[in-house]
Amino acid sequence: MQEQLAAIVNEVETALVGIKTRPDFEAFKAKIVGGNGSLTAVMKQMGKLPKEEKPAAGKLINEAKRKIEAAFAATLAAIGDAELAARLGDPIDPTLPSPDDFEGRKHPLTQTREEICRIFSRLGFTIADGPELESEWYCFDALNTPASHPARDMQDTLFMPADTVSKDASKKADEAYVMRSHTSSVQIRTMLSGQPPIRIVAPGRCFRRDTVDATHSANFHQVEGLWVDKKVTLKDLKSVLDFFVREIFGTSVETRLRPSFFPFTEPSFEMDIKSQNLGALSGRWLEIMGCGLVDPKVFENVGIDPQQWTGLAFGVGLERIAMLVHGIDDIRHFYANDLRFLRQF
Amino acid sequence: MKVSIQWLNKYVDLSDIGEERIAEALPMIGLEVEDVLKAGLVPLQNVVIGQILEFVPHANSNHLSVCKVDVGDGVIRQIVCGAKNFKQNDVVPVALPGATLPGDFTISETVMRGEVSQGMMCSARELGLGADHSGLLILTGKGFKLGTPINDCFPPADTVFDISITANRGDCLSHLGVARDLAAYFNRELKMPVPENIFARERPSGNASNEFLKVSIETPDCALYNAWTIRGVKVAPSPEWMQRDLLAVGLRPINNIVDITNWVMMELGSPLHAFDAAQIGGNEIHIRKASEGEKIKLLDGKDYVLSAEHCVIADAQKAMVVAGVMGGENSGVTDATTDVVLEAAWFDPASVRKTSRKLALSSDSSTRFTRDVDPTFVAVAGTRAAQLIVELAGGTVAGTPISLGDWPRADRMIEISGDYVRERCGYDVEDAEILDIFKRLRFAVTIEGDKWQVLVPAFRPDVDRPIDLVEEFVRIYGTTTIPSGAIDSPVLPALDAKTARFVAKANDLLVGQGFSECVHYTLRDEAELKKCFGETIAAALALANPLTSEQSHIRPSLLPGLLDALKLNLAAHNEPRRLFETGHVFRPDKSGALRELVSVAFVALAEPTTRNWKSREKIDFYFAKKLAFDLAARAGITEQRLLVEAVAAGTSPLWQPGHAAVANDRAKAVSIEMGLISPKLALDWDIEANVIAGELLFTSDTFKLADKVTKFKAFSTFPPVSRDLALVVDQSVSEGFVADRLKATATKATAKQFAVEKINCFDVYQGKGLPEGKKSLAFEIVFRSENKTLTDDEVNKVFAKIQLDIERNIKCTIRK
Repeated sequence: MQEQLAAIVNEVETALVGIKTRPDFEAFKAKIVGGNGSLTAVMKQMGKLPKEEKPAAGKLINEAKRKIEAAFAATLAAIGDAELAARLGDPIDPTLPSPDDFEGRKHPLTQTREEICRIFSRLGFTIADGPELESEWYCFDALNTPASHPARDMQDTLFMPADTVSKDASKKADEAYVMRSHTSSVQIRTMLSGQPPIRIVAPGRCFRRDTVDATHSANFHQVEGLWVDKKVTLKDLKSVLDFFVREIFGTSVETRLRPSFFPFTEPSFEMDIKSQNLGALSGRWLEIMGCGLVDPKVFENVGIDPQQWTGLAFGVGLERIAMLVHGIDDIRHFYANDLRFLRQF
Repeated sequence: MKVSIQWLNKYVDLSDIGEERIAEALPMIGLEVEDVLKAGLVPLQNVVIGQILEFVPHANSNHLSVCKVDVGDGVIRQIVCGAKNFKQNDVVPVALPGATLPGDFTISETVMRGEVSQGMMCSARELGLGADHSGLLILTGKGFKLGTPINDCFPPADTVFDISITANRGDCLSHLGVARDLAAYFNRELKMPVPENIFARERPSGNASNEFLKVSIETPDCALYNAWTIRGVKVAPSPEWMQRDLLAVGLRPINNIVDITNWVMMELGSPLHAFDAAQIGGNEIHIRKASEGEKIKLLDGKDYVLSAEHCVIADAQKAMVVAGVMGGENSGVTDATTDVVLEAAWFDPASVRKTSRKLALSSDSSTRFTRDVDPTFVAVAGTRAAQLIVELAGGTVAGTPISLGDWPRADRMIEISGDYVRERCGYDVEDAEILDIFKRLRFAVTIEGDKWQVLVPAFRPDVDRPIDLVEEFVRIYGTTTIPSGAIDSPVLPALDAKTARFVAKANDLLVGQGFSECVHYTLRDEAELKKCFGETIAAALALANPLTSEQSHIRPSLLPGLLDALKLNLAAHNEPRRLFETGHVFRPDKSGALRELVSVAFVALAEPTTRNWKSREKIDFYFAKKLAFDLAARAGITEQRLLVEAVAAGTSPLWQPGHAAVANDRAKAVSIEMGLISPKLALDWDIEANVIAGELLFTSDTFKLADKVTKFKAFSTFPPVSRDLALVVDQSVSEGFVADRLKATATKATAKQFAVEKINCFDVYQGKGLPEGKKSLAFEIVFRSENKTLTDDEVNKVFAKIQLDIERNIKCTIRK
């Protein structure tokens, strides 16, 4: 029996050296300690031994078993290590670049739009929208810009053919469709579809029949603002716009309301800012938006009583703000989509 | 509108205020200063009067002369000169070394082709005295002493503001108008021109004729017509002061008669016209509509064809003037004119605008008429000009002046109160301060208790409601004192627009997936639309009045723009991989009506174009499908609602058949296209790589659905059991079809004892071992019960039934 055990231990120790995989190991292990295994067979002999020989035999068997189990455990550990190493592959070089070299970015105009909307949302303004393909009535007439007004010139506005029908922009009568020249038309659609009090910002795309150059674009974006309530005043206009401008340009920015003219506000102003942190544009007055109190005629056009309600409105150029904030000198960068531009923001 | 400070000072004394303060004040009263210019001679050092004693041609040049010049200091200087317009002993301005001329041009002693030149003789333009650069400014015979500094020979330079006048402020298209506003702002007295008696406004007398002229108004486009016949005038250059004024504001002096009409227009804002009386056929003037096709050659030298909507001033035979816009060549004042007819009229702003727009012709006259000239001042301007003609050109006013029509509007009364002003402003201001500003604006106020009756003169057509008076108050009171303070903005029960919320979510998803956002123009060119979307769509999206042919159509899709971006960035070696855009696009529906759609589109290169140390699996159609469906889910459209079909050959030039698909929901609120962009089409953009793309188009109906609150559904705590089943079907049969039927079959087979949780296709095989034209789809069917652990026995019974039923339900065989 001693020889048998020694031979088994020897066999195990020798064979395990060549066993590298788990199935080979399990097969070999079965040959030794399985139901028909060689060690199992030796152990079965134990029962047939005389009583006085049993303790010595048991000791021998235990000794052999301990050795075999230790050898198994070592091999199993080695296999486990090998498997893990195989799963892990080669160690990484952390300095190599990732092959997935794409990074998502929002366009600077989107970033600016979201920032503007976020600022106004803190004053309770919610986002409204309206069609880009707009009827002349909503774009002009309702905004107190009659047919004889210079802004109605074919020169400035892009028109659709007379027979155009749009399912997404209702008409007042048989007026033409235009590509909206400002987002102020959203004021009209908002006031017609709801009741005051109203406090909205309407970001959107606008169109002018302009030759493209460093400061002009065939389309551009505005964020329109409208606040209609019982007692909205000039002081509110100044306060709201000062808040907005300071959030965007910092608290050191100076502002002024310069009297101007828009058919849909009375009084009307251009808001100018002056800042020392605008690079080459520092220290001078820069026009950034048109604004004013809603003209009573506009209220009448949408069936709101101007005796009871007053309002303020403004329209900020998105490109203008983004250009000032980021020091961009040419509006065409926004529409060229060169990744060397887009990846900067 | 160019406004001269020297001219303004005739009506309001601003001499102690300083240009800078005026330049700052103008924008703050609504008169935006676009430019500050200098007119006339700015102070120049070392530029003096000199005399050309003699000159000889330059030996080495056939266009230069070498001159001996005396500037009165006892030294005879040699100056090389290129001008030809002088003779011996002419007196000219001489810039000596050390002088700096306008434009920062410094003079020094030089050698020109071997001859020393000790200074420069100057043209008018070189001194900043005008546009003339045809030769030296000859000052011979003006009595200037040699050596006199040039500034002692000319009036001081004037400052000219180029002001942008908003559409409502036609009254400021004149020096008197701007002076009126500045007088109000600086609280100064307005000085009316002398003699003041001619400024009394009188309604038309109704006199239609005298022995020299007969006038009839035959169209409502003309509300007022005044005419003076002035006989025996001498046409000559106008006096220097008038020429100076005109040059300062950018007008070219022509002759005394024309200059007077222009000068009075610039003074008072009312356009005037002078006819050569001899050219007025029949001594009749008819203000009438043009006849269809009537031709006229105007003073710009061009021929115009008129139509019946245009108003003309005609004699017995011919049109002489396009009313309010421009005079004709056939009747203007020339050097031979001896008798003139001076016209002062009022034309309807809308009519003049229409004509000016139709003829694409605008003039100083049309600019003013379209902004509603003060009708009560028209005759005054005429009287002023007639007096100036008599004074400066001689002649006498013959006969009683013609004076026809009536004022279309006059002064108006507006009722307002101090409280109304304060309520709109939101800050405190005393009644007295408001009233003072109205007075300064020359608005007369009658106080009736709390109510004020404010009389606004006709020169302000834009002020006719109480709110307009608030604006006037604010303009003059100033905006710098408007307080800025706490904002009282109680919460309103409103949410952001659903489209805006969706677009924000779509942006976040795409940016998270490594896509960079692009923004392209809405306007695209026709050829591209036809190529990518076909003739019908292109035809429906044409603009009526495009500016350029590259921007003639509104876009039906964001994909061409994104291909532009790929092209540009590939060419620039920017290594583009993933780009997206969101925006509005337009498509005609079946009836031809346009739908404005919210679009989300993305493009991605299937693999990088640059070399990489480690390669990744290429992306393909299924990448686009996953992304598109995830985007649709953010608009509340789940995959279950979408019907997917492969793009058939010949249906879309944009997509590669066999590698692209379309999906719609049953309500047709969304339409999705995704897959591989046709590699042939991509070549038009010089893109040789495979482009995987997708575009989702949403109608506004998508976003009209009410927000659904997600309700929690309990899930089973028991384990799932799965069985695999491979079905052999025709190659043309889609997986979606088989999976749907298998799901239905399995669900039926369970007889509601437990659920078929999932049907998952885990293998698609065709080739060896399968008949020609067949493929094998292997599915994992997952079962689960809500209330117990399923036994093999239960599942096997159901699975056996599925195997039995599926071959009956669809054309397939079970692969063993």
